[in-house]
Amino acid sequence: MTPLAPAQHPWSQRRPAAPLLILLPALVLLPLAAVLPAVVHGGGWELIGQFAFAAITPSGDPVLLASALRGLGVTVAVALLGWAVSLALGLVGGVLSSRTVWRTMAGRVWPAGALRRLLAIPRSIHELLWGLLLLQLVGLQPAVAVLAIAIPYAALVARVVSDLLDALPTAPLEALRAAGAAAPAALLTALGPALLPGVFSYGGYRLECALRSATLLGVFGLGGLGTELRLTLQSLQFHELWTCLWLLLAVMLLLEGLVRLLRRRWGMPGRFGLAAGAVGSRGRELLLATLALLPVLLLLALALGVNPAALLVVQALPPFHPDWPAVLALPWGAMVASTLLLTLLAAALAVGVAPLLLLLVAPWPWGRLLLQGLWALGRLWPPPLTALLLLFVLKPGLITAALALAFHNLGVLGRLLLEAADAAGGGAEAALRCAGCGPRLALFYGRFSGLSRSYLAYGAYRADVILRETVVVGLVGAAGLGTLLLEALSSFAVDQLLALVAVYAALTLLGEDLSDRVRHRLLAA
Amino acid sequence: MAWPALSVSWPASEIPPFFLMSSPFRRPVLRLRERSTAVLAGLAMLLLPAVLPPVTPAAAPLLPGAQAQQKLLRISAIPDQKPETLNRLYPLLANELSRSLGVPVKYVPVTDYTAAVSAFRRGDLDLVWFGALTGVQARLQKPGARVIAQRDIDASFQSFFIANTASGIKPIANQKGLSVLKGKRFTFGSESSTSGRLMPQYFLGQAGVRLSDFAGGAPGFSSSHDATIALVQSGAYQAGVVNEEVWQSNLSSGKTDPKKVIVIWRTPGYANYHWLAQPNLDQRFGKGFTARLQSTFVNLRASNPQQAQILDLFGAKRFIPATPRLYDPIEKVGREIGKIR
Amino acid sequence: MTRSGSPSGPGSGSPSLVLELRDVTVPGRGADRLAGVSLQLRAGERVALLGASGAGKSTLLAVANGLLQPSGGELFWEGAPPARSQRLRQRQRARIGTLWQDLRLIEELSVQQNLNAARLAEWGWPRALRNLLQPLETAANAAALRQVDLDPALLPQSVTALSGGQRQRLAIARLLRQQPTLLLADEPLAHLDPRLAAELLTLLLRQATAPRALLLSLHRPDLVSGFDRVLALRAGRLVLDAPPAALDAALIQSLYGAESMPALAEPR
Repeated sequence: MTPLAPAQHPWSQRRPAAPLLILLPALVLLPLAAVLPAVVHGGGWELIGQFAFAAITPSGDPVLLASALRGLGVTVAVALLGWAVSLALGLVGGVLSSRTVWRTMAGRVWPAGALRRLLAIPRSIHELLWGLLLLQLVGLQPAVAVLAIAIPYAALVARVVSDLLDALPTAPLEALRAAGAAAPAALLTALGPALLPGVFSYGGYRLECALRSATLLGVFGLGGLGTELRLTLQSLQFHELWTCLWLLLAVMLLLEGLVRLLRRRWGMPGRFGLAAGAVGSRGRELLLATLALLPVLLLLALALGVNPAALLVVQALPPFHPDWPAVLALPWGAMVASTLLLTLLAAALAVGVAPLLLLLVAPWPWGRLLLQGLWALGRLWPPPLTALLLLFVLKPGLITAALALAFHNLGVLGRLLLEAADAAGGGAEAALRCAGCGPRLALFYGRFSGLSRSYLAYGAYRADVILRETVVVGLVGAAGLGTLLLEALSSFAVDQLLALVAVYAALTLLGEDLSDRVRHRLLAA
Repeated sequence: MAWPALSVSWPASEIPPFFLMSSPFRRPVLRLRERSTAVLAGLAMLLLPAVLPPVTPAAAPLLPGAQAQQKLLRISAIPDQKPETLNRLYPLLANELSRSLGVPVKYVPVTDYTAAVSAFRRGDLDLVWFGALTGVQARLQKPGARVIAQRDIDASFQSFFIANTASGIKPIANQKGLSVLKGKRFTFGSESSTSGRLMPQYFLGQAGVRLSDFAGGAPGFSSSHDATIALVQSGAYQAGVVNEEVWQSNLSSGKTDPKKVIVIWRTPGYANYHWLAQPNLDQRFGKGFTARLQSTFVNLRASNPQQAQILDLFGAKRFIPATPRLYDPIEKVGREIGKIR
Repeated sequence: MTRSGSPSGPGSGSPSLVLELRDVTVPGRGADRLAGVSLQLRAGERVALLGASGAGKSTLLAVANGLLQPSGGELFWEGAPPARSQRLRQRQRARIGTLWQDLRLIEELSVQQNLNAARLAEWGWPRALRNLLQPLETAANAAALRQVDLDPALLPQSVTALSGGQRQRLAIARLLRQQPTLLLADEPLAHLDPRLAAELLTLLLRQATAPRALLLSLHRPDLVSGFDRVLALRAGRLVLDAPPAALDAALIQSLYGAESMPALAEPR
């Protein structure tokens, strides 16, 4: 290969190389460090100390334990049911919005695109908002939390399934069709098995998300352990709080371990990518597990008291006296701006701090374990509760809200980064270590180089999730649309509520588009 | 060599490439641990239905089954006090009501003000202990709802503005003095609380303090009176507002440290908490049921040990009859502030 | 564990001793992967390591570059045992250059940044970060490329744009940039076509002059002619330490057993 002419060298420009990119989001720490002293009031360090101490002295009160276990049961049941329903609906929706399927079945693709756009709307609204809206619509019943998770998740799963379907090679399908197979049979045979590993892997991830969502819904009064967490935090009963928290942590780690194991056992494609997916051998096992899950789900639904018929009874809505001029007069610009600022700040913090922390602890053998623990707590602990805890020492406002969101998402991102780092193999890093390079620099050059683009691409996706999540830290005040939304809900201001949901949906759709573009650019480079 | 494959083969989807990568090199020890984790998790999942109560407490009474609605009186309360207080208070009350009215009574915990109002609107709750604001909201959403009774102290209820002593805020002589709170970190209780938000905001407004005047451009919402006291005492907020009743009980139980947090102003009295009943109780439970309900409350006496306990937990000497007109001023303030529309 | 008082103690009048293993043992499943291996490598020496698959060649090299901690025996780099302090240990490792079979280039970086990665042991964070913005030390890198017969115009290219042969040479150039005294290579010629393998071997042998020493494991006994010494392992034991000329058909047969490759077994 002949060298390119200098003008064409992509590397000759002053452009940050891969490992440097991964650290760029962490630059947000500099302005944050400058602002933070003004935000700290330090009034409640004593409370923080009590909170931390309570972690090692959780309450063992049997009454509390019983109620915490019940709450945990509700949370897990809601998560499992919501997840299962979303997976089923999402598979159907995904097939229906796949271009390949429409092309094969009907010879046209536009319905796929139309359905895809339609599905973007339920996806753009956070599950908490769905929960609070459904609560108004059908009343407080267990199915509300299940549905609140199922609706946006189903739309998410549908998008992923259709993307996966449309990315599969069509050669086998065409061969079957040419051989005279009927369209549905050909689709099922050619695409079904190839689709499964991706769906399974993503489904496992969604289950972990569902547990976090179910906890969060509880924080806002939709039942389960989240409710206990919030009540014990608000009445400053930290020992009781930690009892609930440890229980939840145990369940979360168990679930994550199970998903990881099953993913590796069944859906797991070979080392790098989908190519080596060998579902055939495990197909029977997967089928059996699915069949075994069905009665468990039914039992859970029964135990939880989910009554689908009750969902159809939409009863009296709050009286609706719209005052649109007043709605228009709200400070939309400022609210949208602070929502976006909150998103960017939280996303940059979460994305930037995870690799930084990994670098920091690289030389210490126990550092990794410490980080894993910290990240597990971040994932587990719903952001509104982090926000409440932060208020003990920080002033309310955007920064506090951003820190709370960032901590939660750091937990998610950090775990993925670590998993990806492990999966990527450490050849280059080991080579650098053998050449006398220090552990941090070796990790930085050797491993982060390969990870940085895909990690940042995931970060872009995460920013999109964070934008949706800003609604949950509305409690902290001055945090944009979320704050007004909670206020509108408690005032039964339906007009404001509708406007806010519409603005949120529009924002998240725009954000999704933007993060898609960023992601494509990162992955294409 | 295999690195680039990570990112290239991926469809434009929600799935980041990470999801499909596994660790190729795991030690056998780790696998073993993971396997036992999986087995444990599987077992836990199977046991889950057993852990769940046969039917969650919130679920049963909310089912629209006509039978359950006919026979069962479902009572609830807005969650503005500590959960353990509510959980002790209401089973006692349910027993007493059941005994005196001759119908089964069930306490349904509700964890959110808005949820309590919505549940009442939908007819999922028959009798609810509302705050003044939430009661008015509920009545407006359920025309014909009956105001049953209030406590003796609810006729002229007060809110206390409190401050952390380190904040330098001193007790003030009159309402105009509330302007010292400008630029301070200030927290209300819950958004829908009458004594922790609505009336205090009204009095603040009269003194020329707007919500955007507080430090950070907005007040906090601690979500309960107990939390407000704890947060102000810790210094997390420099000042806040709580209802008289919770302040007194925190003070007498020693949870409040008078060296760290003081009362700076007491509001004028206003009508607060009350029992609100569905309009259709007479049809469901028989003629005159609503009247009997009212007299049951009004006739609770401290001389009866059982009833004394209830009155004590409610912080009242007795209950008195109440009418919707008592809450007209609250509705007016609610409309002014935008909490009633 | 230690057999002290051996004739050539570390640093005892033998400053040119680059690598020494004494009675090194590495346990494996069942049989030891290395069983009591002792060897010495002096500056300027070029040594080939032969043996069938699984004989312990890779294990021996992994011990030699510090990747694997032997369970018994002693190891000396330039006369000193592996340092306990991390900083000193890193300094020792900086003087050992390893040529990996899969090269282990950093695919996302340019040729020049890859070459500079060999300097990271000397550099601190500021330089390491600057190198990612604007690659440093262009002159030294160009010289390294010329030494392996590569065009310095390749410097700003991404390594993914290089051909297989160019990548091999780049890996050697990176070794040169590290300036090690001990060169280790584990089967660098496997999977290469014969012409490329010969070129690469010539290149490696050319670089391994005093004060450097080269230890290279080989699957093909026919390529040992340019070396000063040949070591051979069988079942984790050192069974031969002789000049290349001593290698004959019978010996090769005994080394490789049934696995022997008649076409290649052309000892001289």
